[in-house]
Amino acid sequence: MIRLQNVSKTYGGRPALKDVNLHVALGEFAFLVGPSGAGKSTLMRLLYREEVPTQGSVFIGGVNLTKLSSRQIPLLRRRLGIVFQDYRLLPNQTAFDNVAYILRALGVEESEVRKRVSSALNVVNLDDKAGHYPDQLSGGEQQRVGIARAIVNGPPVLLADEPTGNLDPATSLEIVQLLARISQRGTTVLVSTHDQTIVNAMRRRVISLRQGEIVTDVDCGVYEVEVGQS
Amino acid sequence: MRQLRIFFRVVVETFLGLKHSGWSNWLVVSILTIALTIFGSILQLTMTLKNVVNSFGSQMVISAYLDNNHEPRNVAREVSQFNEVRLVEVVTKDVAWEDMKKNLKVASIPNPLPNTLHITVYSPEQVEKLAPKLKLLPAVEAVKYPLMVARRINEIRHFFEIAGVAVTAALTTATLTVIGNTIHLVIQARKREIEILSLMGVGHFYIKCPFVLQGAIYGALAAALAMVVLLVMQFYVVQPYMLSHLVSFVSLLPQQLEYSLVQTFTVMLVLGVAVGAGGGAWTSGRYIKI
Repeated sequence: MIRLQNVSKTYGGRPALKDVNLHVALGEFAFLVGPSGAGKSTLMRLLYREEVPTQGSVFIGGVNLTKLSSRQIPLLRRRLGIVFQDYRLLPNQTAFDNVAYILRALGVEESEVRKRVSSALNVVNLDDKAGHYPDQLSGGEQQRVGIARAIVNGPPVLLADEPTGNLDPATSLEIVQLLARISQRGTTVLVSTHDQTIVNAMRRRVISLRQGEIVTDVDCGVYEVEVGQS
Repeated sequence: MRQLRIFFRVVVETFLGLKHSGWSNWLVVSILTIALTIFGSILQLTMTLKNVVNSFGSQMVISAYLDNNHEPRNVAREVSQFNEVRLVEVVTKDVAWEDMKKNLKVASIPNPLPNTLHITVYSPEQVEKLAPKLKLLPAVEAVKYPLMVARRINEIRHFFEIAGVAVTAALTTATLTVIGNTIHLVIQARKREIEILSLMGVGHFYIKCPFVLQGAIYGALAAALAMVVLLVMQFYVVQPYMLSHLVSFVSLLPQQLEYSLVQTFTVMLVLGVAVGAGGGAWTSGRYIKI
C-alpha cells in the first residue's frame, strides 16, 4: 500500500532522507521511530505530498506521488487519513462539525454526513462529546476527534505524525491502541513517534530511522533508545 | 445535486469570510463605490455627448445671423437661390427674444438677438459646402451649423474620455490593492484552517472560491451604492438643470439625447464584480499555496 523506492530528500544540500526503501502492506500497522531530526516527519510529509523527494519515487496504492499534479493532490489526500501531534482542530467548530467538515466540503448529503460522523465518533468512543468545542475537551479527547476526522472518509491509509507527542503516557497508549484497532479494520496505519514506552508496549513492526537512513526494520520489534538520544 | 451542496457550503464560507473582515469590508466597498461613481458619471457624460455629436452630425440645418440693416425676408429670398437649399425659415429677432424669455429668466434689457435664417439643405454633406457661400453674403454676420459645434463637443468628449480612463485606472488599482489587503488579512486569519482543509483533501475550488466570491460581493455592493449616487445626481442635478438647458438651447435636436442609465448601470455592475472577483482571485492565488 505504501512504497518508497530509493527516496532521498535534501534541504539546501543537507540530507534529510538518504536512499530510503520501504514497503508497508495493506492493513499493516507500523511504527516509524527515531530521534528528533532522524527524518520521520520528512518521510510523513512525502507520503501526504506536502513535499516531493529530491530523488526516488513514493507510491501509495500504486499511485506515484512524485508525478501528481497540484490538482490531483486533494484527490490523493482524500484517500489518506492524517493525524497530527497538535490535533489541528478548527477551534470554532464542535467535535461533530470538525469531523463532518471534509464530508460537507465534498458535497456529501447531510443525512449521510450525520451517519458517518456518528459512526466515526463511535469508533473513537466520543459519542457523548459530539457537541463539545475543542477547548472543552482534554488533549486525549481532542486527538480522538482528530482520529475520527481522519477515518470518517474511510481512507485505506492512515498516517499519524507524532500523535502522542502532547499526551500523558496512559492517554498515549490509549490513542495507539485505538489506531491499532482501526488497522484491524483493514486500514494501513503508519505511526511516527519517538515514544519508546508505547512502541515497546505494542510489539508491532518497528522501522527505525537515524540520520535519514533506515537502520532497522523489525516485524515485532522494540525501540531501543541510545544514550543521549531523545 | 452534489455540486449544488458544495456551492452552498462555498457561499457559507464566503459569508464567514465577510464576517471575519469586519470594518475592512466597508473600507473596500467605500473606495470601490467612489471609483464606480466616477467611472459611471464619466461614462454617462461621454456617451451622452457622443449622442449629441451624432445627432448634430446628422443635422442638415445652418443658422445664418443677419445684421440689422438688412430685411430678413429679402436675404431669405436671395439664399433660397442656392442649389443646396431646400427650405429657408426666417426667425425675426422679436420672435427669438420672445421664445428666449419663455424658456429662460432674462433681465429687462433691449433685445440683443439678431434676425436669423434657419436654412435646411438636401443632404448633410451640403452643409459644409453652403456655409462658406453664406458667409460671403453682405447681410450675413455669422454662420453656425451643428457640425461646427459637434467638433467642439467632440474635443471636450475626448478630454473626458482620457481623464475618465486615467481616473478609473488609478482608482481601480487602489481598489485592487485594498481588496487584496483585506482578503489577505482574512487568509492570514484562516491560515491554519486553510492548511487543515488542504491536508484533508479539500479541493482548490472549495478553498479559494470563497475569496473570489467575497471580492465579487464587494463589487456588486459598491456598484449598487454607486448606482444610488448616480440616480440621485440624475434626478436632482442633471435632469432639472443641465439636460433641460441643453435641450432648450438646441431645440432642433431630438429630445432623447441622454445615454441610457440602464446601460451605464450594467457596465458599472459588470466592472465592479469583475474588479472585486479579480482582486479576490489574484490574492487567493498569490497567498494560498496548496
